[in-house]
Amino acid sequence: MNSFNDEHYLTFALGKGRLANKTLEILEQIGISCEEMKDKNSRKLIFVNEELKMKFFLAKGPDVPTYVELGSADIGVVGYDTVLEENRNVYEVLDLGFGKCRMCVCGPASARELLQHHERIRVASKYPNIARDYFYNKKHQTVDIIKLNGSVELGPLVQLSDVIVDIVETGSTLRENGLEVLEEVCPLSARMIVNPVSMQMEKARIRDLVLKLREYLGR
Amino acid sequence: MNQKLLHTPEGVRDIYGKEYAKKRKLEGSLRTLIESFGYEEIQTPTFEFFDVFSREIGTTPSKDLYKFFDKEGNTLVLRPDFTPSIARCAAKYFREEKAPIRLSYKGNTFTNTSNLQGKLKELTQMGAELINDPSVEADGEMIALVVEALKKVGLKEFQVSIGQVEYFKGLCQEAGLDEETELDLRACISGKNFFAAQELLNERNVAEPYRETLLKVADLFNSMTSLNDARQLAHNERSLAAIDRLEKLDHVLECYGVKDYISYDLGMLSKYNYYTGVIFKAYTFGVGNAVVTGGRYNSLLGRFGKSAPAVGFAIVIDDIMEALARQKTEFSEEEILKLYYHPEEEGSFANALEKAHHLRQEGKRVALLAVEKTMGGEQA
Repeated sequence: MNSFNDEHYLTFALGKGRLANKTLEILEQIGISCEEMKDKNSRKLIFVNEELKMKFFLAKGPDVPTYVELGSADIGVVGYDTVLEENRNVYEVLDLGFGKCRMCVCGPASARELLQHHERIRVASKYPNIARDYFYNKKHQTVDIIKLNGSVELGPLVQLSDVIVDIVETGSTLRENGLEVLEEVCPLSARMIVNPVSMQMEKARIRDLVLKLREYLGR
Repeated sequence: MNQKLLHTPEGVRDIYGKEYAKKRKLEGSLRTLIESFGYEEIQTPTFEFFDVFSREIGTTPSKDLYKFFDKEGNTLVLRPDFTPSIARCAAKYFREEKAPIRLSYKGNTFTNTSNLQGKLKELTQMGAELINDPSVEADGEMIALVVEALKKVGLKEFQVSIGQVEYFKGLCQEAGLDEETELDLRACISGKNFFAAQELLNERNVAEPYRETLLKVADLFNSMTSLNDARQLAHNERSLAAIDRLEKLDHVLECYGVKDYISYDLGMLSKYNYYTGVIFKAYTFGVGNAVVTGGRYNSLLGRFGKSAPAVGFAIVIDDIMEALARQKTEFSEEEILKLYYHPEEEGSFANALEKAHHLRQEGKRVALLAVEKTMGGEQA
């Protein structure tokens, strides 16, 4: 079954930004590089390494699981927050260890009380699915979820919501605005995801890649 | 003109012209193949009582079912797959039958999946179920049929992965896991989510060496592709019996001459409690999910009052069509011959008709067309 595989490019979808840069750095360490991608002036959307028969493209984070689930990319690298929020049918094969942060429930200190009882409260978040799962299935608290697309910290400040569910790295934005972490939902980091069909059809190549990465990352 | 009238709802579509011809042809040749193995076609209703597809029986979450009510207030469901319907039929019409029953089906299935994810809500499935035959030869027949079917439609690159759910169940029993942990773990492993599995086993305080053994099943990169590796890992009768069975199956598949397309994956599990033995999936390039799924379900018919073993598979025709298109493989179809006649000319029609008649009897596809006055055309 190899005739086709020789022609088949292993395609990576990388979440734009820091995540992609860090991923490329690590891939380079294990001997996979993409010179085309280093050219910052390039307007190309897809970058190819002919020698290794690999393709790379950058995509907006939440789209990465979509590309991988539908098989347009064999492999994706994206934050665990996106994996949870999108909840797509993909295999999660590796914790890349970087991009570490936490998904938290945040708000003014006064809101802490609201989380103690099963009161109905308003929650603003960019991650409605994660927020819903946390409050409904873990805390068993009924909440109204309001989806926002950015600057979620504003929610409690302008009385749009009682608390927010958002990613916390250093917590400085929170502090500057008189908010604090009230509860931790889960730790986050960059994950490698794989399309289930690719996993079967390209087992040897993907396995080789993941084992090398595992060795490099020391796990 | 009301433009809105022209649209179909999201997730359903019209299939016409060449595409539909291809689909029909493909279905026809698959049907011929399945019939040649002695299967009889059966037609079940498009909608049935909710209970037929309920949580204990079906593999589609209740929220993804299309549900509606009849005038008595019963909840009805558009079938999300065929197996429960076939099981119901077999239990109803073959209650006393002890000999093997071979049934096949083709029809559309409906799942109310989320919007904007590029997935169809109405899919054509074709499949076969072999009831009353617990043998490993029956398992082999199903898998061989799947391989032959995929070869027949013209796919060259595909793979059938085979697992055995009893192996994992045996390991869980050996480790003394409670039912909830087993279910949760199965969900993690079927999603190949190694970290979640690891976390779960730590959280539930599963003892070594069981933790490591179970994690090996979850870890698809040390995954047990060889049956021998899997045998080394298990120390309980249930798991070992599962391996014995797979080895016998391997021999049967060798007899069928389909071993080139087979691989084993004991980490392949189903989220659902539905399968009781062998389980298999077929994959090919160009489609993001398995194009064929199947397995043995020995307890399903019991739910309908007939205790009988069964094994079956379902092919998603629309996915096969897509895979063929993406792989630029043509499923060969016969061309339509065009015969023209001049409506104004005496004898032209009769002449053309006679020719067409002959060609049709030879099995050719012929369309008769009138030449319009203004345009010149080839006369028959």
